[in-house]
Amino acid sequence: MDSLHLGSYTFSSRLILGTGKFSSSSVMLEAVKASGSQLVTVALRRFNREQPEDDLFTPLSAIPGITLMPNTSGASTAAEAVRAARISRELSGSPFIKVEIHPNPQHLMPDSIETYEASKILAKEGFLVMPYIPADPVLAKRLEEAGCASVMPLGSAIGSGQGLATAEMLRIIIRESNIPVIVDAGLRSPSEAALAMEMGCGAVLVNSAVAVAGDPPAMAEAFAEAVAAGHKACRAGIMDKSGMAVATSPLTAFLGPAS
Amino acid sequence: MNTLLPEWLNPAADEARIREMLSPDSRWTLEHLAAQSRAITLRRFGRTMTLYAPLYLSNHCSSGCAYCGFASDRTTPRRRLEQEEIRKELAAMKRLGISDVLLLTGERTKAADFDYLRTSVATAAADMQRVTVEAFPMSVAEYRELAEAGCTGITIYQETYDRARYGELHRWGPKKEFLERLDTPSRALEGGIKTAGLGVLLGLADPQEDAIMLYRHLRHLGKTYWRAGLSVSFPRIRPQTGSYQPPFTVSDHLLARMIFAFRIALPDVELVLSTRESPAFRDGMAGLGITRMSIASRTTVGGYTDPESGDQGQFDIFDDRSVEAFCKALREKNIEPVFKNWAHAYNGPSSPETDERAPENVNTWN
Amino acid sequence: MHEMPQIITIQLNGEPFTLPRCSSVSDLLTRIASEEKTVATVINDQIVRPENRSAARLEEGDRVEILIFAGGG
Repeated sequence: MDSLHLGSYTFSSRLILGTGKFSSSSVMLEAVKASGSQLVTVALRRFNREQPEDDLFTPLSAIPGITLMPNTSGASTAAEAVRAARISRELSGSPFIKVEIHPNPQHLMPDSIETYEASKILAKEGFLVMPYIPADPVLAKRLEEAGCASVMPLGSAIGSGQGLATAEMLRIIIRESNIPVIVDAGLRSPSEAALAMEMGCGAVLVNSAVAVAGDPPAMAEAFAEAVAAGHKACRAGIMDKSGMAVATSPLTAFLGPAS
Repeated sequence: MNTLLPEWLNPAADEARIREMLSPDSRWTLEHLAAQSRAITLRRFGRTMTLYAPLYLSNHCSSGCAYCGFASDRTTPRRRLEQEEIRKELAAMKRLGISDVLLLTGERTKAADFDYLRTSVATAAADMQRVTVEAFPMSVAEYRELAEAGCTGITIYQETYDRARYGELHRWGPKKEFLERLDTPSRALEGGIKTAGLGVLLGLADPQEDAIMLYRHLRHLGKTYWRAGLSVSFPRIRPQTGSYQPPFTVSDHLLARMIFAFRIALPDVELVLSTRESPAFRDGMAGLGITRMSIASRTTVGGYTDPESGDQGQFDIFDDRSVEAFCKALREKNIEPVFKNWAHAYNGPSSPETDERAPENVNTWN
Repeated sequence: MHEMPQIITIQLNGEPFTLPRCSSVSDLLTRIASEEKTVATVINDQIVRPENRSAARLEEGDRVEILIFAGGG
């Protein structure tokens, strides 16, 4: 089975799970285990004496094969993201960093400029930079050039469940990219994850759709199956969706009969 | 020196479709391909045809290509245009309406070396809106100098991607170096040349295999030099008595299929057809996928000031219609001939952001 | 000559917090019952690594951040 390669890491699962918005840590941990996911995101937060169970480091690290990917959520500038990344690396020991900079708390759209600046710096410092970005093909190439390990264009706004609203842009990014393209944000159902993989994504990142499902561990499992199916189909070569359009008068008559 | 073929020449995941389109036995009929190619061309390029003309600066050559009229063992009289002659030729071309010129030389020789080429580019850039070059493989530094002199594009045909065949055909001289030639478009784009034109000389080897490898080359360049413009030409050897007989014949149907397949698989790449092809073929293909054509060509050295000269050209011209006649034919097909698709002000090197550029230097437009 | 105060006040995660003078970062972690291994400690924008925490003495007015990994997307 072919694996996802990021830096020197190899992952057999192409489903990356976010750990936010779950009703409890135990439900979240069940979901992670059920999904078979090997890369999960976490957020850097202030230690709160009243709520020591917020600390996910120990329970997540106990899951075999797990790698942590801290995100820089909370940062609204490149400088803040870089600072958060450096602190996160000290804590996690993992070189992965999801550069996530969304200054507007309503729509949570990523700031391309700050993300680019932070990513450039962090790539030079040896991080495996996974930038969360709008589905912008030029930005994706610039980030690739800057040394990012992948690009993570959004399918639609975080938590909006609008699916692959950016499908056309994603197709361009996937076609032109030399690094894995990981759709992140907006996926609502496993079929959308399958579609993203059929399009050629290297992986998908899902959080809300699993966390707010009726049965998160079961939903996590469903997503894992969909991601695997979509990827397999992509590798198997999906049939063309070609319409048999023929002009009213033949366009190739000038060529004469086939010799 | 690395003698291994680059990785990007290996079969790629995304080529199943173009391979199918290229095969005459596939479910893609020619008419179906034409319709799809036409639709994409219309969407992406509109109803236009960009026009240019070639100017052979010199027919000196150091290489021995089995198929070329200018190979160094042929008895063709050799000459090169001096700068004043170049200016006269350009003036004659401008009177025909041409403002986009392709300067050609043979492989590198002392008589027509890099300095000569660079000087000629500067001469042409002073008079023409756009100057491109089809000459010999150069270094990154040389391409940068060429770009600074006003060259915005280079064309270099690999001739064939079949390495064994390539070795048989390029018998002596610098053109023997297969890998160096393969790497040429990359060096040009590294050096700041804005567009690269690729192609194979159809007929030298299996045309379908050559087409697939050409596709892989274009995909590699498009993903690596993502700011660059790319174009593809489809020169086809015409078997002529007494001269080189190619082992493969490329029929009109196969050539058309190839052009349609490239348009569908690479919707943004410029597809070019020269006056090597017949008027009927050129007229037919206009609007179906080809977006750039040469006109009123001379393949002799110079030739625009003295069209009656008896000199032998590099290849025989098939479509020798005047500019007026050709433009009329295009207009009859509801296609607008475009002579100027570029502005002189953009004739400089491509300049992507580099790490060395300090963020303080943002006010350079003060 | 003034007596040095026996307690100092630092900013801990944005809130004032008092602790004995000469407390180390390790001492602070013990006081707030946090696990050494699962927190990052940042004093005045400088990361203090686990191996340096027992030697790192806190001073009056230090801005201390104790950070953990919590859930996030």
